[in-house]
Amino acid sequence: MTITCERIDDLLFEGDAESLALAGKHAAQCRSCREKLDDWHDISTTAKSMHVTWQNDMLWPRIQRSIKPSFGWMRIAAAIIVTIGISASVWFAAHVRVSRDKAFDQAILRATAMDDVERAEKAHVDAIAKLEKLAAPKLDEPQTPILVSYKEKLMLLDDAIAECQTNIDQNRQNAQVRKQLLAMYSEKQRTLRDVLREGANVSNP
Amino acid sequence: MQAVATFTRVNQPEIAASANFDQLYRTHGERMKSIAYNHLGSVSDAEDAVQETFLKVHRAMSTFTGEASFSTWAYRILINTCYDHLRRRKRRGDEESLDDTPVERMANTVDDTKRMMLRRLLEALPEQRRSVFTLFEIEGLSHAEIAEILGISEANSKWILFSTKKQLQEQWRKPQ
Repeated sequence: MTITCERIDDLLFEGDAESLALAGKHAAQCRSCREKLDDWHDISTTAKSMHVTWQNDMLWPRIQRSIKPSFGWMRIAAAIIVTIGISASVWFAAHVRVSRDKAFDQAILRATAMDDVERAEKAHVDAIAKLEKLAAPKLDEPQTPILVSYKEKLMLLDDAIAECQTNIDQNRQNAQVRKQLLAMYSEKQRTLRDVLREGANVSNP
Repeated sequence: MQAVATFTRVNQPEIAASANFDQLYRTHGERMKSIAYNHLGSVSDAEDAVQETFLKVHRAMSTFTGEASFSTWAYRILINTCYDHLRRRKRRGDEESLDDTPVERMANTVDDTKRMMLRRLLEALPEQRRSVFTLFEIEGLSHAEIAEILGISEANSKWILFSTKKQLQEQWRKPQ
């Protein structure tokens, strides 16, 4: 069958393998139709390469939470209670022991004492970092919704810690902020322990 | 190629179980995210659209009549959700973001410049043309499946694809 340039569009409209083969046969002898067909195929090849897959999929836990509202509210309520608990502890520690803290603050605000505090903090932070390394494989690819929520909690704590750290960098003698930082590190340590425990449950049911 | 026609019909009591959402996600989640990404051009917007779709499906389960397959219905909701996002973005005057980093391409042999150019050309297309092109050329669905999802005839889907490709072809070699 002889194909003319006028029929190329009809063949492209059909788009099936047979029609495209006929178009190709004609294009082999016709320069302008060859360019047209090359572009046609080029567009299709480029389009096929645009299908994407996700490298790290955290969406399903999010969807699960959104389609289970009661469970979601319970978790939000639990998070609020935990936050209030931490805040109350920090407030209590800060206000009930004012008289003892005053004397303590006077001493700790001295430069040498500050160095000691920072050394102790650093040792504490290093210990948490080791714990974090142990928990990292579980947190990188959380296998249960609770691990996902631990991961989110840890991210929140890291943000809060970074904020405190910035405040301390501006005023290293701010004992109040240091106490808050310590409370957050302690919470982070507890959470990491929970992650390791939860992780152990996942791998050894 | 995984066809939409192979989706199982799910009756309402079954749908109600969240296990079926899990199954829907495992079977179609990847493609749903790819469709959303290729409509919205952003990973976070695509994830939001897929999440919103699941939520809408969950809320509207009582209105599911079973005339179309459950997955076709979900895809239709997804496409409409993407249109809503695009309209909101247009109202706000936002530019389409192109954050390509957290995704992997099926074929990395294709020149990125060509991909970028095709994406730009697709952005300028009307919604329906963009959807037909995306579903057929990028996601590999048949015209019958596209017709069911978009609520158009098969012949219409074929015509829209042809005229869209002709339009793209005219701009393909022009410098952007």
